[in-house]
Amino acid sequence: MLAGQIVNGLVSGAMYALVAIGFTLIIGVLDKLNFTHPEVFMFGGYVGLVALPHMPVAGAFLMAFVVGGLLGVMTEWVAFRRFLGNDARTTAALSSLALGLILTDLVHKVWGTEPLRLPPLQGWMSESFGLLGVNFLNLQMVLLAVMFALMWGLHHVIAHTRMGRQIRAVAESSAHAALLGVNVLRVNQAVFFISSGLASIAGLMLALRADTVSPDLGLTFGLKALAVMAIGGMGDMRGAVLAGLGIGVLEALMFHFGLGRLGELTVWAAMILTLLLKPAGLFASGHHAQEQRV
Amino acid sequence: MIADHLFFTCINILLAWSVYVSLLTGSLSFAQGAFMAVGCYASGYFTAKMGMPMLPATGLAAVIAAVIAALVGYPALRLRGIYLILATLGLTFCIRVLLENMDFLGGIGGFGGMKGGDLPKAAMAVAVIGLLLWLLSISPLQRVFDAVREDDRVAAALGINVTAIRLVGFSAGAAIASVAGMLYGHYMSFVRPENFDVTLSIYVVLYMVLGGVNNLYGSILGAAIMTLLPEYIRFLADWRPTVFGASVLLLLLFRPDGLLSYRPVTALARHGRSNVRKVA
Repeated sequence: MLAGQIVNGLVSGAMYALVAIGFTLIIGVLDKLNFTHPEVFMFGGYVGLVALPHMPVAGAFLMAFVVGGLLGVMTEWVAFRRFLGNDARTTAALSSLALGLILTDLVHKVWGTEPLRLPPLQGWMSESFGLLGVNFLNLQMVLLAVMFALMWGLHHVIAHTRMGRQIRAVAESSAHAALLGVNVLRVNQAVFFISSGLASIAGLMLALRADTVSPDLGLTFGLKALAVMAIGGMGDMRGAVLAGLGIGVLEALMFHFGLGRLGELTVWAAMILTLLLKPAGLFASGHHAQEQRV
Repeated sequence: MIADHLFFTCINILLAWSVYVSLLTGSLSFAQGAFMAVGCYASGYFTAKMGMPMLPATGLAAVIAAVIAALVGYPALRLRGIYLILATLGLTFCIRVLLENMDFLGGIGGFGGMKGGDLPKAAMAVAVIGLLLWLLSISPLQRVFDAVREDDRVAAALGINVTAIRLVGFSAGAAIASVAGMLYGHYMSFVRPENFDVTLSIYVVLYMVLGGVNNLYGSILGAAIMTLLPEYIRFLADWRPTVFGASVLLLLLFRPDGLLSYRPVTALARHGRSNVRKVA
């Protein structure tokens, strides 16, 4: 039973991590908070709702990635392009918040304010298997595998490709990168596409696991990923992954030991504690963390 | 009917002002809903359960909210950038869960029994707090606030204790929000923790942004427009978040300081500097 709860926690932790990676990528490159991000995450579930009756699950994942990515590029265009300076942090947060508000309201208008059920999965994905006396759902294993594949792929892109090198250069200093011939605008768009696409996939995964999609997920689950990002350390992908998995397991354990009513509190209290004791985040490394002291 | 709408306009003006005060020192807060809840529950407990008169209960509630703000704000306000946004979001969720689990405050079922909030009291609160904020705006403290907001490094070099000034602004905002919460609670006479959702905090910030972030009167205009217009125009009530979000977005794109903004010297200086930074 406990092992099952821990696997549950790992699955939701990996979803936190996918969304938190998106926050952290944009913080790393632009030093801005993207408040449309949680709503793109929420929208991923609705992409699944539309796509799943017509295509296999893999196709739905691809579609969620592309639709989420395009939403991300639109976010960059509408809410961030005009507000690039260091002084515009607050403005960018507000404009992306306003855009997220519009997105949520449009979802309300199209699909209603109540949660909707996804079409049930068929075939081997809906089955489960037993191992060492613990029951594991195949779906959970698939979700975990997809998420680790995505994280590994993202790491590969950032560490070993031309675009990844450019992203790291812009994160270090966009002015210097521009002088060296990097197209900063293109890099920003790529980062928004990748991060929002991943968030949208995470939203689809959450929808698959819970069998429902709900328009409120952005401001509950999605914002928690923001706290996860702060715990892991801003601009640090490894920190986002580790903190996400840790928080997911911690929440599952609290639920297991009957503290479920306080479950919402866990991640935020942990974040405030982290800000108090180690403000740069648990795993923060590099220049980004050091610049933030007054 | 009209009295109801005016009452909620007053509350929203107070809330928008509470965001304005903390933004004066450059810190954006998404916890005004939480401070409103603190003010509402604390003053409600003092009046309904302990039989205290309204005015001292309000004062005590404001002090409690300000102390909570100072405690949570201190770690975040030492840091530059977006940490306060994160800490205040966290506070909003924490306060809500705590209220849901405090049984002597009614827990998840809600808390009731307060009475006596009405339009004249709300108008009086708006007048008193407006007067205080106006006095602030012509006092030397306003210039200290401006310095901290425009460039904290320069302010620190001038001998200003940046963290302390930010704490003062943030706590004052919390106190004003708690007054609004007290009025709300004593008017509704029954509140539940979910009345103070994170969406409330977000809306309040946008009221102020819509009106203009660098003067006192913009908050009045923004809160009045967004509270009163949807009551009388059906289309606006149906599409409220979209219209609201789109107008805030357009405003930020084409008039970044808000509807009622006059440009102070510091704003011009800011534009000059950001051009320099693009080159550097």
